[in-house]
Amino acid sequence: MRGSLAGCVPRQFQLPGRGGRRPEVGKAFAGKIEQLDANRWRIPRDSRPDMRVDGIIFANKDLIDDVLSGGGPDQVANVATLPGIVGESLAMPDIHWGYGFPIGGVAATEVSAGGVVSPGGVGYDINCGVRLLRSDIPVQEVRPRLNELVDQLFRDVPAGVGVGGPFSFARQEMAKLLAEGAPYLVEGGLADSADLAVTESGGRLEGADPDAVSKEAYARGVDQCGTLGSGNHFAEVQFVEEVYDEQAAKAMGLAPGRVAFMIHSGSRGLGHQVCQDSLKALRSAPGKYGISLPDRQLVCAPVDSPEGRQYLGAMRAAANFAWCNRQLLATHVRRTLERFMGQSSQSLGLRQVYDVAHNIAKIETHTFGGRTGKVCVHRKGATRAFPPGHRELPAVYRELGQPVLIPGDMGTASYVLLGTAAAMETSFGSTCHGAGRVMSRTAAIAAARGRSIEKELAAGGVIARARGRTGLAEEQPAAYKNIDAVVDCVVAAGLSRKVARLRPMGVIKG
Amino acid sequence: MAKRCETFDHTADVGLAASGDSLAELFEALAEGLADLICPTGQVEARQVRAVHVEAEDLEALAVDFLTEVMVTIESRRFVLAKAVVTDVSRTSVDAELAGEALDPARHEFRTEVKAVTYHQLHVAQQDGRWTARVILDI
Repeated sequence: MRGSLAGCVPRQFQLPGRGGRRPEVGKAFAGKIEQLDANRWRIPRDSRPDMRVDGIIFANKDLIDDVLSGGGPDQVANVATLPGIVGESLAMPDIHWGYGFPIGGVAATEVSAGGVVSPGGVGYDINCGVRLLRSDIPVQEVRPRLNELVDQLFRDVPAGVGVGGPFSFARQEMAKLLAEGAPYLVEGGLADSADLAVTESGGRLEGADPDAVSKEAYARGVDQCGTLGSGNHFAEVQFVEEVYDEQAAKAMGLAPGRVAFMIHSGSRGLGHQVCQDSLKALRSAPGKYGISLPDRQLVCAPVDSPEGRQYLGAMRAAANFAWCNRQLLATHVRRTLERFMGQSSQSLGLRQVYDVAHNIAKIETHTFGGRTGKVCVHRKGATRAFPPGHRELPAVYRELGQPVLIPGDMGTASYVLLGTAAAMETSFGSTCHGAGRVMSRTAAIAAARGRSIEKELAAGGVIARARGRTGLAEEQPAAYKNIDAVVDCVVAAGLSRKVARLRPMGVIKG
Repeated sequence: MAKRCETFDHTADVGLAASGDSLAELFEALAEGLADLICPTGQVEARQVRAVHVEAEDLEALAVDFLTEVMVTIESRRFVLAKAVVTDVSRTSVDAELAGEALDPARHEFRTEVKAVTYHQLHVAQQDGRWTARVILDI
């Protein structure tokens, strides 16, 4: 592998006019839904003849209106029709409309009972996720030079539409990277084994099949490992604003007033193409296995079938690519910071807190319906939230529970949470993943007309840089649900515990 | 009426609404609409032609697979399009010539990253002698 950190040329772009049509947001939910308690709503199984289980949506009174008008609940009911689904078809409070599954959707299917895997339950951006780095740097030390730091990160971290990065991998290297995930980068000196220890699944899913990845997918990913991409992906300079659990925060190295860095990206074009290829390959599977589906985006095959194995092999390869992507993005951030501060990462206390996937399907062991068995847990816009003591957690966090990283909008806050035993019992060890969109891109652009989002953010103490002219408008804070309300809901529902709230200071977007 | 393609908004994404007097025109309009969204076709010179052949089980799947081929041509093969000419089309197969050139960042604006061509609310139909299609893209 080769890699240099020369800056790449930014490209400007703007979206074309869209003919003045009204945005199509999800239609209001017209089905049956009942409130179970302050934080849970149920779509009963008997409300549609094809539902196999209930649908459960986690939402409180502050969130339910957006949930019901966002097009997600019908999709929760659609997911409840999947063969082999156990427990309930679940949705987190950041639920909004997605392709097939809603964003925020969680579904577990029992492998031994013909349970299916559906690419629509993972999404196009396979293993989109979040990485958090902490430091000892006091916020006051960065504040006076913040503009300079953000500009430097903006030059150094490849981002934006069609932008490749300085790292490229020959076909054989790429096949190894897809098979081995982030551990492969340790061999090349681009990752530290300490990072892997605090990465979900160690940055590698077993069973990845590089041969199940098409040559088109390889081609789309060849120069994109270590690039942010566009849309809602970002790299942020943050500081720890508030700590809610001192013991847990200490174990994670999070102290009030210290600077941290958050990275949000996924598997780039490679993952998108794997999903596109898989949806095509699975088109005939429902007919073959006698599965009737309410939505073509939900195509699926039994986990234990040639088609299911093929998808899982390709999906795991894309997931491994995503962990390598975030690893290389972290390498960019580290090198920039070392140069900027004139100190080593070690002396800056710059180290990884954790890395989570929030678009993924995994075979896990859970207890459901009075029995314990292997299930395929789809988390699409949902984060694993394993409880204290779970054997898959790294030693450093085993007593605490799994760190959960929740990126908020760029003007408000992000959160660090912990997984709980209640999450294991009620949501297959899952919690929310972010704020969740409430405004279409066009609506956001329209709402930003005549305003400078950059200046508004700066007035709130956030320096933002985006390559696209409309990038900041599309991703403005008002386009998202209130992150505090989303987090309060998962905490009140018992799915997570609060550890710390992080405030953004500098944002880089594609 | 000639072939045409407009974009429309769909939640966080964008759709293509295309029409043409024949199925061939419809597919040309879809291909050019997608290509223009990624990189304006007006910036591209038709220096080379790439022939593509796509088969699928039905017309709607064919539209998705054909547009996927166009997307892959631009995003993986870095070949941007000036225009598309459909040479043969049926309900289950399409042959087309994609005219364009190698992506040159100095001259071509890569303005939208299209993640995928989706099946959501996918619609291809013929009415009163005119073909129409709606396809939503994940961007």
